[in-house]
Amino acid sequence: MALKLKRRAVLQGVAGTAIALPFLECMLPTGRSTAQGPTRRYAIMLAGQALGGDNYAKNSSRVDGQNITENGHYIADTNYGRGYTLTTPLLPLQGMEDDFMMVSNLAIPFNASSADGSAVPSGGAYRDFHGGGCSPLLSGTRSTEARYTCNGITSDQLIAELNDGQTTHKSLVVRAQPAFYVSGYSFSGRQYISYGPGGGNSGRIEAQASPEVAYRSLFQGFVPDNDEDAARFDFEMRARRSVLDLVLEKRTQLVDKVGVADQQRLERHFDEIRDLENRIAALPPIASGACVVPSDPGADPPIGGDHDGGGSGSVTPGSGYSDEHARARLFADMIHMAFVCDLTRAASLQLTAFQSHMNVRPIADGLGNLPGTVRPARWASVAGDLHEVGHNGDPNNRGQIPSAGLLGWHISHYAYLIDKLRNTPEADGNALDNTVIVFTAEAGHGLQLNDASSQNQTHSVENMVLLVAGHAPGLSPGEHINGNRAHPATVLITAMQAAGYQGNTLGDVSL
Amino acid sequence: MFSRVLVAILLAALFSCTGSIGQKGENRGPPAVDPLLAVESAARRLTQAELDNTLRDLLGEDSAPASRLLNEDEFRPFDNDYTIQQASDALITSLEALAEEVARNVVDDPARRDALVPCTPSSRGDEACFRQFLDLFLPRALRRAVTPADVNAYLPLLAFASEDNAAVENDFYTAVELAINAAIQDPELLYRVEKGVPGSTPGLYQLSGYEIANRMSYLLWSTMPDDALFAAAAAGALETPQGRRAEALRMLDDPKARTQLHRFHAMWLGYRSIPHSAELVAAFNRETSALIDRVVLDEPGSYLRLFTMNETFVDDALADHYSLPRPDGGEGWVSYEGTGRAGILGHGALLAAFSKFEDTSPTQRGILVRTRFMCESVPAPPPTVDVDQPPQGAMDALCKYDRYAEHRDQSSSCAGCHSLVDPIGFGLENYDVAGRFREHDDGVPECIIDGSGEIVSVGNFNGPAELSQLLVENDYIDACAVQQFLTFALGRPTTTYEADMQQEMVDAFRAGQHDFKGLITDFVASDRFARRAQERL
Repeated sequence: MALKLKRRAVLQGVAGTAIALPFLECMLPTGRSTAQGPTRRYAIMLAGQALGGDNYAKNSSRVDGQNITENGHYIADTNYGRGYTLTTPLLPLQGMEDDFMMVSNLAIPFNASSADGSAVPSGGAYRDFHGGGCSPLLSGTRSTEARYTCNGITSDQLIAELNDGQTTHKSLVVRAQPAFYVSGYSFSGRQYISYGPGGGNSGRIEAQASPEVAYRSLFQGFVPDNDEDAARFDFEMRARRSVLDLVLEKRTQLVDKVGVADQQRLERHFDEIRDLENRIAALPPIASGACVVPSDPGADPPIGGDHDGGGSGSVTPGSGYSDEHARARLFADMIHMAFVCDLTRAASLQLTAFQSHMNVRPIADGLGNLPGTVRPARWASVAGDLHEVGHNGDPNNRGQIPSAGLLGWHISHYAYLIDKLRNTPEADGNALDNTVIVFTAEAGHGLQLNDASSQNQTHSVENMVLLVAGHAPGLSPGEHINGNRAHPATVLITAMQAAGYQGNTLGDVSL
Repeated sequence: MFSRVLVAILLAALFSCTGSIGQKGENRGPPAVDPLLAVESAARRLTQAELDNTLRDLLGEDSAPASRLLNEDEFRPFDNDYTIQQASDALITSLEALAEEVARNVVDDPARRDALVPCTPSSRGDEACFRQFLDLFLPRALRRAVTPADVNAYLPLLAFASEDNAAVENDFYTAVELAINAAIQDPELLYRVEKGVPGSTPGLYQLSGYEIANRMSYLLWSTMPDDALFAAAAAGALETPQGRRAEALRMLDDPKARTQLHRFHAMWLGYRSIPHSAELVAAFNRETSALIDRVVLDEPGSYLRLFTMNETFVDDALADHYSLPRPDGGEGWVSYEGTGRAGILGHGALLAAFSKFEDTSPTQRGILVRTRFMCESVPAPPPTVDVDQPPQGAMDALCKYDRYAEHRDQSSSCAGCHSLVDPIGFGLENYDVAGRFREHDDGVPECIIDGSGEIVSVGNFNGPAELSQLLVENDYIDACAVQQFLTFALGRPTTTYEADMQQEMVDAFRAGQHDFKGLITDFVASDRFARRAQERL
């Protein structure tokens, strides 16, 4: 354990900007080794929907009504090795080519001759892509029905388990898309990418979709430096704990008098309150060196209204968008600082939901202007929701380039986090040295999973691509690796091992 | 009704549809208590809407904090399905943030603060005044009579008011703020916990007056009881059917009941949020709310008029939108005479819901009618079909009807299921995504829309008015409305074991000339409403 300093923290400047104290080695976060050896931080980001559009080959697009045949827009071509040219979706990673590796040509197995749940191979996908692709991708366990549920623990939670007890927050699970957006329907499982041990409904972890609440949860516990602020902070923390104690004391009184099923419900609620109380009661985090309390993001961007999921025509301006761009960046900021402050070592950021119905128009219109995003050379925006982009919703803008532009938006947040970490000095290098970040989309592009015959389809579990950022041993930053149809979970295992995982399996899949 | 389910099952079996048919299955075996006596219930967490309303009525909080800070409820189709509720870290941290924010808002506003604190504190640590505040506040916050122990539990918070601390500007109201904060996070506020008193039958419990009051206010208003309802609970008035009925009638006169009816219908019929301009959406909402108000509350008579009403409430802009005659005086009821419309199925709100591929979807509209108006399950498509692509077979056909040919192909496995839904949707094809009448496919004048539709094994129709007629005459609407009402009231789908109980309600509804207000008040007045059955695991 490193020496504990007197609690020195960030001085809040007049404009709310943070002034960091000079970094001293003895201020390093404590205990970054577990019994099993050194661990690194682990984060995974998921992009809903598509690597390409239905019925469009990887070099085919339609932009502004014009058909175009041109390579370089599908995220991964066959230029393996080092020094490959960044494709359109990877453009936000310009300058960071040596900080991440790309593994392409990954595939999830499925049974092409039977659509029965019982016929799904080990680690494989149920034939209905809606739900079928989720469990094998994120937990390496096979799906046997059309439900978005992981049937086993996900990679981020394996790392969370590894580090359990070492940090205040076991993991940070957040989601940028706050609403489902389709009138008459609901998320129904599309909003979960993190599952604890055992997976399933009881293992699923609800993401925090409010940046304001996530910020408070992570950063409200820092002790201010000057005595007066610290005294007020102390008062507020004591009050906060008193309130929670009062609520917790109701536990026996309430739980004893209800039936067994209600007992389970209420116990779960009280357990979560107790966990919150324990977090507050733990030693407050130290803000020092690179660990700086970020400025308060203020109120969340308003949540945009619904549309009917019916394609381009129904996605009216103002509906179906809640400034996911700002939300994603806020969450990336928080993951960065939560890692640097050692508040947690495992995180997941679901940028958009599976089969996302987020209105892409504001993003598509804003590519190049939205910070960190890159406007593709040929670009004429796209009308519709993200789901429809993969299924060619916009009659004038279809296929590879529109999909690539929006995938690029997702990757811009990945790039943003990588850049923040690598520019954060840590020990002898930077924070990225001690972090592993995975990026995945929900689908591949190729043979359709549903009918096992159509080509160039979004509902595909082949030609899948994962990105892994970081410099840990076992990773190969700067390289484009041919996955040779290996299961995507093998890449997750490699990534987890780089974060200190000692095993070589994830669900049904082994390295 | 049952025979129609059988037809659907047979059809489906014949053509190897996948998925489940008929009413929702129940694999936990028969309940311990006959549902005719008492229905299973559980602790139900308040929805975003319920919590926002509760905080508004308890504390004057107008900012809809739950809608901002909590993760959105799942609509199935109602927002209050307790069987999928699960506490999580995200929920608890959101609630803590919400409680702190709301408590602070209250105490920062002298008017709201003084509405809660009935005395002027003589000192920071004035325990007597604090008790007076708690005696007034806690029973409303916890929605029940409180004991001295309940109140005493809050007294330690007073220490934060009286603490001498130069760094903090604390006063008496600091303790008030903390008390409000703690109450908001209390599971007794956040959940509707029902215990009841054990009855003669094992597993059957008689609810207390306050528990009944909570059931009533959340059913009729989606919020906490008001003072009059609390008083009725305390006086034991809610323990008799007459007492409950009287209160229910009073509550149905309150504007909150109107809002609740609008919400119920919007969630049930899938139009709770419609993809058109704000002005058009507002006009649609006024139109549909006016019909609901008139049929259920303002003009005693049959609920079925919701589907058969031969006029609609519009302003000039909406009348023009529909090509209807303009109302006198800028806003009012205009006749549907000469149009093919009747009732709610003629409204833009409903016609705008459930579309696909940039246009109306006959399949989706058929599913809407089958599942939401007829309460029948439609089997899921086989996993081998990618439903996100338009039907592949006749994609080049000019006319939309022809593009759906593959769904009608009897030699394929598609027809079995699609015949349940497509013909219904095609009977509404003359009405576009914004509810306007059209002669032909959008943008293709050669493709005249025939508009003929069919509910297989029931009958043919053309347009919303005839469809409504068919549904009403064949006794679908009333039975399905009862089922949907029960789903909303119970906070979960009904089980097959509850079929008799449900049928009893349908029979009474019919015998009562389909008086929906009567349905609601009968439900509240029933002995069942004052009881619960223990939930099985």
